[in-house]
Amino acid sequence: MNTIECQHLTRAYGRTLAVNDVSFTVPPGSIFALLGPNGAGKTTTLKLLLNLVQPTSGRASVLGCESTMLTQTHFRQIGYVTEEQIYPEWMTVRQLLDYYRPFYPSWDDNLTGRLKAIFGLPEDRPLRKLSRGMRVKAILLSILPFHPELLVLDEPFGGLDPQVRDDFINGMLEVIGSNRPNTVIVSSHDIAEVERLADWVGILLDGKLILAEPMSSLQTRFRRLEIVGPDVAARVPERLPPGWLKLERPASTVAQLIHSAFTDAAEAEVHRVFGDATVKPFPMTLREIFLVYSGISRTPKERTAA
Amino acid sequence: MLPFTVEFRPGEPVYEDVMYAVKKAALSGQLAAGERFPSVRTLSQELKINPNTAHKVVAALVTEGILTVQPGIGTIVAIPAPGSAQDKTALLNQEVERLVVEAGRLGLSEDQVIAAVRKHWRKFPSNS
Repeated sequence: MNTIECQHLTRAYGRTLAVNDVSFTVPPGSIFALLGPNGAGKTTTLKLLLNLVQPTSGRASVLGCESTMLTQTHFRQIGYVTEEQIYPEWMTVRQLLDYYRPFYPSWDDNLTGRLKAIFGLPEDRPLRKLSRGMRVKAILLSILPFHPELLVLDEPFGGLDPQVRDDFINGMLEVIGSNRPNTVIVSSHDIAEVERLADWVGILLDGKLILAEPMSSLQTRFRRLEIVGPDVAARVPERLPPGWLKLERPASTVAQLIHSAFTDAAEAEVHRVFGDATVKPFPMTLREIFLVYSGISRTPKERTAA
Repeated sequence: MLPFTVEFRPGEPVYEDVMYAVKKAALSGQLAAGERFPSVRTLSQELKINPNTAHKVVAALVTEGILTVQPGIGTIVAIPAPGSAQDKTALLNQEVERLVVEAGRLGLSEDQVIAAVRKHWRKFPSNS
């Protein structure tokens, strides 16, 4: 059973589709990075999963339950971190932990101790007197010790200094690296932050899901090909074959092709089209892949090589 | 701190980069036989990598005989350092292949490439 399954999930605000026909799955034990620029629909998608917002159409299931039917029992297995969260500002970190502990039968005091050592938080200061970074750590400290089966993190790294991010990630890894498999879905517009952490990636643009798949599959199928030869320009096909995402010609003897379905056969096809030209494939980072798609969505005409 | 350094190549699988770094450290003697190897959790925290990937790395190193499992302790480095010349050469395969391909593209001869390698080799006193 997948930890999260969405089918045609859609949410409209007036005439705007904040989330537009989104379908994806998150297998148990994975770290799923939901990427997209600000306003792409990441927060709304996460809220739909947690029934904080209801779908206009489509559906989602979380931990095997329809999102609209989630109960306290389910929420006891979900840890949610968001910027909008409202906390009892007057409580100290210690009071906050004392407050939460009784709600969760699975609360782990040993883990709490290890997390405190990682986070280095002053326990006797009220939350309102903590810096932003310390507050985020305090929130994480209050949701990790019950070993949530699912962690939902909405832009957790926004505005955090490098040391706090480091502590945050280590705290998270302290828990998900332990005994039972935890699943994480984390939204971010900072791609480099999650590139090595995530094993699944989804990219949202303007409410639409451009792709959602394992990181390893992205790394296998995407290549930037540099094609160099005397008559490259003349050989560029009028209509790009399937898999050829984008083709640019920075010079008359050079073409750059973004291939989204790279295989030996695909490479042979490129050689066929460009004759004697040398073809050099380069692996692509998540950031590069992302920028190709956001570029295409901005200027639809670029899809067919000019 | 980890007893070896991982160089992450952009766009390449994290798994391969970590495997390469550990093997290099083990075969060069940087990791001595009998020494404790970092746990999956330490690996994932220090490198900020997915715990599943860290787990895969440790499992593969055990399968390849570079690490052994010591019940109650964790994993320890098993390979007797220094490794055989063959093992060490195998580590460079990728780099050598890349060099040969690039040289071919530039139209260099085998002798020219070897001469270029020799020139760089002599720049490092420890290599002579």
